[in-house]
Amino acid sequence: MSKRLKSNLAAYGMVLPAFMVVMLTVAYPIISAVIQSFQDEETGKFTFANYTYFFTEPAQLNNLLYTLMVVFLTVAIAIFVAYLLALYLRFVKSKIAKTIGTLYLLPRFVPAMCAVYAMITIIRDSGLINRIGQLFGLNITLGLMYHASGIILMNLWFNIPFAAMMITAGLGAIPDSIIEGARDVGAGKWKTFTSMILPLSLKDVVIASTFVFMTNVGSFTTPYLMGGNAPKMLGIALFDQFNKYLAYNRSAALSVIMFLICSVSAGVYIYTNLKEQEWEK
Amino acid sequence: MKFRRVSACVLATLMAASLMAGCGSTKKDEASGGASAGGKETVTLWATGSDNVRAIYETLIEDFNTNSEYKDQYQVELQFMLSGTGTQALTDMLVAAAKANRTGTDYDIVDLSGDDLSKIVSQMGTEKLVKLDDSKIPNAANVSAESSIAAEYVQPFRGTTVVLAYDSEKIQTPPATFEELEAWMKENPGRFAYNQPGTGGAGDSFARSTVYNQIADATAITSDDEAWVDEWDAGFAKLTELNEYMYESGGSHVYPAKNQGTLDLLNQGDIDMCPNWADMVLSQRASGALKDTIKITQIEPSLTGSFQTLAIPTFGSHEDGAYAFIDYMLSEQAQTILVHDMAAIPLIDTANIDMTGYEDVASLDTSKFRIMSIGDLGTKFNERWDNEIATLG
Repeated sequence: MSKRLKSNLAAYGMVLPAFMVVMLTVAYPIISAVIQSFQDEETGKFTFANYTYFFTEPAQLNNLLYTLMVVFLTVAIAIFVAYLLALYLRFVKSKIAKTIGTLYLLPRFVPAMCAVYAMITIIRDSGLINRIGQLFGLNITLGLMYHASGIILMNLWFNIPFAAMMITAGLGAIPDSIIEGARDVGAGKWKTFTSMILPLSLKDVVIASTFVFMTNVGSFTTPYLMGGNAPKMLGIALFDQFNKYLAYNRSAALSVIMFLICSVSAGVYIYTNLKEQEWEK
Repeated sequence: MKFRRVSACVLATLMAASLMAGCGSTKKDEASGGASAGGKETVTLWATGSDNVRAIYETLIEDFNTNSEYKDQYQVELQFMLSGTGTQALTDMLVAAAKANRTGTDYDIVDLSGDDLSKIVSQMGTEKLVKLDDSKIPNAANVSAESSIAAEYVQPFRGTTVVLAYDSEKIQTPPATFEELEAWMKENPGRFAYNQPGTGGAGDSFARSTVYNQIADATAITSDDEAWVDEWDAGFAKLTELNEYMYESGGSHVYPAKNQGTLDLLNQGDIDMCPNWADMVLSQRASGALKDTIKITQIEPSLTGSFQTLAIPTFGSHEDGAYAFIDYMLSEQAQTILVHDMAAIPLIDTANIDMTGYEDVASLDTSKFRIMSIGDLGTKFNERWDNEIATLG
């Protein structure tokens, strides 16, 4: 037996338990959910009705569009802010930058529920900001609660540190020599950024975006506590179908829809990663 | 590449370990199922609800195991499921066990709300519940409250009702009837909120009471007959009409999630009145979580209340122990704990219970409770509310 084969077998042996667990706990439920989503609730016969419901009922269609709106805005703002933050952390060498570099990950260590309630306490119409305003005779009502803007704000709180972490890692991998090289041939700051830094970090930006996108499509805690009654984000709509209306086949269909939305993003992620491997060759 | 290999190893080890841990715990469960602690029989109590229910049961069980007359014979253990966490509902588990004809399970005693009871009765009938023998529950003689359904199979032990909670600093004379409440809402737009039905019982009660107030037949509220669905239109028109007087935030009218959602708004001064559970308001006020100025009142026709009951499934394993615990729950000792720790409405004579600080509880007359049990119609109700009222904005 060659050494290579031996080490391959050992590797497969070690991956096998994980693989089995994944097949049992991920693949099997997905397959059965897909099957269930095409079954009629009463008769169990093949039907598309569970899907058409989500695209024809105005309330459900609104939920879908609303979710996409919230998620795209979250991704766009989070990545933009995170990129600026990452640039700052990579290229500014000061005490403040160092301190921010240590502190910016802190939100990742605050439990989601605590963070959401903390945010609510501050931004609600009778919250901290309102009370500070009242000291100066102002009645500030932000109107962020029970509104998409509040959800997006909270999402940013969770996602900016995460995205910044990924992008910072990417920017850190760009050697100083490349930037100095660009400078040497007379490139200004903007030119260095657009032709060197941006292209080299684009992959990390795309990967960070896909992660932010996927985690927010199915988010629950934030929209449940901070969102309005209608339209709702898909995570809440799914909860309603499953827990409130006990419509299991429709729940399955909605799960598949959410899965498909996420898989577009997963596709982008895999494509970006494969590209890197070719480049490595 | 090296990183990938190392992480694969770590992952695989973790997965394998969790697999083994999974097997291990099953074995432990089996072992402890029939075992007895120090010669005492272990009786398992199943309950579901908000966290305050878990807390009260932990206190009561501790008291039962150490201070009650049964402490040397039985040992009670709690299996608790937090409501609304997506876990399989207790009712579903019971129905499944009954339909699978399982026997000797550890469903020794179950704690059931009025809604859960009607679900169970409609899905598995009463034949899988032990018909209670009052001679084994001596303290039951002091309790006159009866469940509206399956009365012979369940023992009520505390009352619970939805009331209007209001800030007495802002409202001197609270409304006494539903009409007065409606008039008050219209005079004070944006100062009232009820939580989204389906996310907490207070909102369910308010929305359903409003709808059933528009139905002349008083028996409708305790029926799960599909025919009543057609009678809901007038009530939903009323809820639609009230929408524009509800609390407003972010440019639309808002029905917060969960009972606590409206209670927080009330406590923060965003609203002046909301429907909520009497026990929830009073216990939070007693603990200092709510302002002292928050008071409760009942309107006419009243918001719905119900009795929390205990039942013994025939497929459990410790019937005598279950009887002992039910008897304990009706003792002055346990009822006092229920009042003091939970602001629950006691079902025995309050003459021997120290009601200081809980006078509000004593004022709620359990014989006037408006019991609601519409069973599975509740699901249809919530769906219609979500489609018609939530979307009004």
